[in-house]
Amino acid sequence: MKILFATIALGLLIAGAALIVWLSPSGYAAQDREETLVSSSSDHWTGTDALGRDRTVRVAAALLVGLAGATAAAAITTAIAAGFGLLAGFSHPAIAAVLVFISDAFLALPWLFLLMMARASLPLTASPAQTAILTFLCLAVLGWPACARAIYRGSLSLRTSEWFMQGRASGLRTPQLIGHLLPHLRPLLLAQFLVSIPVFVVAEANLGALGLGIGEPLPSWGGMLLELDNSALLARTHWAYLPIVLLVVVLFLIETLASRKDAHA
Amino acid sequence: MKRLLRVLSPIARTLILLLVVGAGTIALVRFAPGFFSDERELDTKYADAARSELDEQGMRDESLKDILLQDGQSWLNGDLGQSRQYRVPVVQLLPSRIATSGLLLGRGLLFGWLLTICMALPASVARRGGQLWGLPFTLLLATPTAAMATACILSGMGGPVLVLTLLVASRDFKFLSRILRGAWDAPHLVHGRAQGLGLSALLRVHILPNVAQQVRSLGTLSVVTALAALIPVEVIFNVPGVGQLAWTAVMNRDMPVLAVVSVLLAAVVALAGSISTNKPVLEAA
Repeated sequence: MKILFATIALGLLIAGAALIVWLSPSGYAAQDREETLVSSSSDHWTGTDALGRDRTVRVAAALLVGLAGATAAAAITTAIAAGFGLLAGFSHPAIAAVLVFISDAFLALPWLFLLMMARASLPLTASPAQTAILTFLCLAVLGWPACARAIYRGSLSLRTSEWFMQGRASGLRTPQLIGHLLPHLRPLLLAQFLVSIPVFVVAEANLGALGLGIGEPLPSWGGMLLELDNSALLARTHWAYLPIVLLVVVLFLIETLASRKDAHA
Repeated sequence: MKRLLRVLSPIARTLILLLVVGAGTIALVRFAPGFFSDERELDTKYADAARSELDEQGMRDESLKDILLQDGQSWLNGDLGQSRQYRVPVVQLLPSRIATSGLLLGRGLLFGWLLTICMALPASVARRGGQLWGLPFTLLLATPTAAMATACILSGMGGPVLVLTLLVASRDFKFLSRILRGAWDAPHLVHGRAQGLGLSALLRVHILPNVAQQVRSLGTLSVVTALAALIPVEVIFNVPGVGQLAWTAVMNRDMPVLAVVSVLLAAVVALAGSISTNKPVLEAA
């Protein structure tokens, strides 16, 4: 029931956001300098920002950009983690030890710090689309170690399972065996994929708030949090809180879905 | 001999890991775009000759091997290198910042754990409404640190300690209440409760010793969580701590500072890991 509600609510939010962006006459980047920092009106349902851009359209676009980017990054990170975890799980113990050491080196630093360093090491003055790609690519490339450790542990337990031993004794080759392994790892991979999505949305928001996220004028959760240090904006309208509220709602719904899948895995 | 090796091997592993983290940070920053840019190049008071000298100096510093050797030497000298942005030895920048961040971290963890325990204990023994107890924490869990900090500033309520407290409590509540509920519902405890054992005796003798190891692991995770949150919290609230230093160092490509901060953070994570696993490895991270 809970999972059904979360799925429907999230689906409606995404569909609504897509409709708003699609039907918007001016787009998320259009500026109306005559109407900056206005409260809700018939033209701008939730007001405008400091540059006169429609807040409803920008929040809707940020939702879509954040979710699409985080989902793509989660898919890449799960694929990297699956490859790394399987390689460590089924290779020689010495190679496995080196691979585990590499993942430990990534896990030795707090993730946000590592992410911040990596993102700052990439070009910061790029086009908005390029900054979005770089940000989510950073998340994908650095997000795999914890996930890989889980898959490595899963692989180790499967490696000692009876059916696997029998398969090897019967002469099946490693690629053939891996073909049989993947269905067993699917629940674990799906859970890791779903758990990564809210983590990446949060990470993008935190990075953006530190000025290392997606570049303007492309809307993002982090960019919208960064805008909120403008106290003049808040004195005029409470609609400025909308991005925070919607971000919490979206993350709450995704985590509801992810935690249920995690429990099944 | 075997026992000595068993003790020394995880320590050596941790030290190698710290070295790899330091060297990795230096390599990452060295290849970052704009690393060789020097603000003095834009200053008109410097003559063309001086600017070309700066260029040449940049080219001389280009080799990663030289940079690593130079940094290693300054670490051995004890000054930990010269900060590019503050133009002082890194060792001078650290003490006050470590004290500020340590205090903030300590307070956040202490209050976070107090809040978690106060909420998890009744939630784990409550027959009904367990989900209601957890609802505020679920909502907090869905709130990014930066959003929480921004909301605090906007509303004029709370500060960095409150954000860290709420963050730690939101991460730990679910796990602690699950651990405590598991211990509370264990068959031997159900039997003990049916025999009329008091709550304090149950907690002291049966529950706490059984859950101690899991709680220690959770403690390690909360240290890592709070450490990661330190950066946005200190930047948004303008707290002059290690997190803010790390952020300015990242933005200014201040390699010596970044290398030191990376090793420092990795050492704290390793230390926290050793508390939960009783050995100095980074498993718990």
